[in-house]
Amino acid sequence: MMAVLTFAKWIVDAPGWILSLPEGLQRLIFQFYQVFIYENRWKFFTDGLATTFIVTIGALVIGVIIGMIVALIRSTHDSQSKKPNIVLRILNVICKIYVTVLRGTPLMVQLLIMGFVIMVPKGNFETMLCAVITLGINSGAYVAEIARSGIMSINAGQMEAGRSLGLNFAQTMWHIILPQALKNILPALGNELIALLKETSLVTVIALQDVTKAAQVIVSKAYTAVIPYISLALIYLVLVMILTKLLAILERRMRKNER
Amino acid sequence: MSDNVIIRTIDLKKHYKGDEIRALDGVSAEIRRGEVVVVIGPSGSGKSTFLRSLNLLELPTSGSIFFEDVDITDSKVNINLHRQKMGMVFQQFNLFPHMTVLKNLTLAPMKLLKKSKEEAEKKAMELLERVGLKDRAEAYPEQLSGGQKQRVAICRALCMNPDVMLFDEPTSALDPEMVGEVLDVMKSLAKEGMTMVVVTHEMGFAKDVADRVIFMCDGKIVEEGIPDDFFTNPKDERAKQFLKSIL
Repeated sequence: MMAVLTFAKWIVDAPGWILSLPEGLQRLIFQFYQVFIYENRWKFFTDGLATTFIVTIGALVIGVIIGMIVALIRSTHDSQSKKPNIVLRILNVICKIYVTVLRGTPLMVQLLIMGFVIMVPKGNFETMLCAVITLGINSGAYVAEIARSGIMSINAGQMEAGRSLGLNFAQTMWHIILPQALKNILPALGNELIALLKETSLVTVIALQDVTKAAQVIVSKAYTAVIPYISLALIYLVLVMILTKLLAILERRMRKNER
Repeated sequence: MSDNVIIRTIDLKKHYKGDEIRALDGVSAEIRRGEVVVVIGPSGSGKSTFLRSLNLLELPTSGSIFFEDVDITDSKVNINLHRQKMGMVFQQFNLFPHMTVLKNLTLAPMKLLKKSKEEAEKKAMELLERVGLKDRAEAYPEQLSGGQKQRVAICRALCMNPDVMLFDEPTSALDPEMVGEVLDVMKSLAKEGMTMVVVTHEMGFAKDVADRVIFMCDGKIVEEGIPDDFFTNPKDERAKQFLKSIL
């Protein structure tokens, strides 16, 4: 274990051009050096970023799958003209409870319960799995409501037109309702993705080494908080801006043709 | 059942809120093959509900509907198969906005009749040519005028080679100058011998094209007959009232 690097120790070995700078700037450069370069600490950030990406994408996939299924069950149930059959009614109640519970409790609490009560993961892989599943289940509840509103926003005449041609309910949903609904909910889904990316920072409570944890580790090693945490904020900000841009491009593509 | 009856309804009832609202109150009617039947009546008379229950878009509370000698109200019947034989045209067109005109026309034949893309498109193009919209095949519905949309909607239904066509106020959402082009298509269909049930307010169409007129009021058929008799000499008091108010 190396001793803590102090400014006095660092300036002795510093390259000549730094010595000619005013002291304030020297100290700033020292801080950067200490946070990113010394002992290859930037690797904490890149490793953490990789974890953040994996958790975000994994949770997104799970969230969209769960959300779509729940939305289909809920809107199928609500669109029945006669009394829905018993299986559908039970499924509908389960979905309602799921959405209520997951949206009614804080994500932090859900992580604590999954991490220390239900899954109790050991090792890096299990912890990451726990984070992906928890965030995915959480996100699914929000996606479900977004997708349901998208399906409900499609004029009932579209379903009637599909059915009148002889298409069954599932075929009409798949070919006619869902493509239109998806286009309508894309902005909301984008927002959900951005929220999800930022919420992954909470996985530090189950000791997963994401990018937020990386910043915390560096703070504890370098005894300075300013540069690590500001850098952390900038990393999230840049990621969100890139995502926003990508979503805008996607939306424009989908709108090019119609309406 | 006689051969030439294609649709027969027996004592069809549609009630809402228990028995409070009776959209259909015992409708028994027959549609024969090749016949053009126009259903008219004041608003709220149940004529749209009647038409929409013929392909079970509206589930009747009681009564039966025989289509080609099968009781389609029987829950064991696969209604999707029978709907393929009943084309429907809506007041609001209900074209699929995310598909081109051509895709609108070929979706159902490809999925349900298992036609190849080429076959389905060939048939679609023939129909589009007939209604004068061949050059709009690659357009999206929103790029069309109302009259064009409705002509496309008629083609979409015809692509399934239906045995009967149901029209639910097909010209009511159109600007006046576009009504004619849609009625012309319907007239030529009638001339070719297509069985048609038409709910409409176009009395001119009823007089010229209909083989029979059904007048509905309060969820019941109160008078029916050939157009000449009905329009010149209605017997029911409500029919007289109705004709006086619109002519």
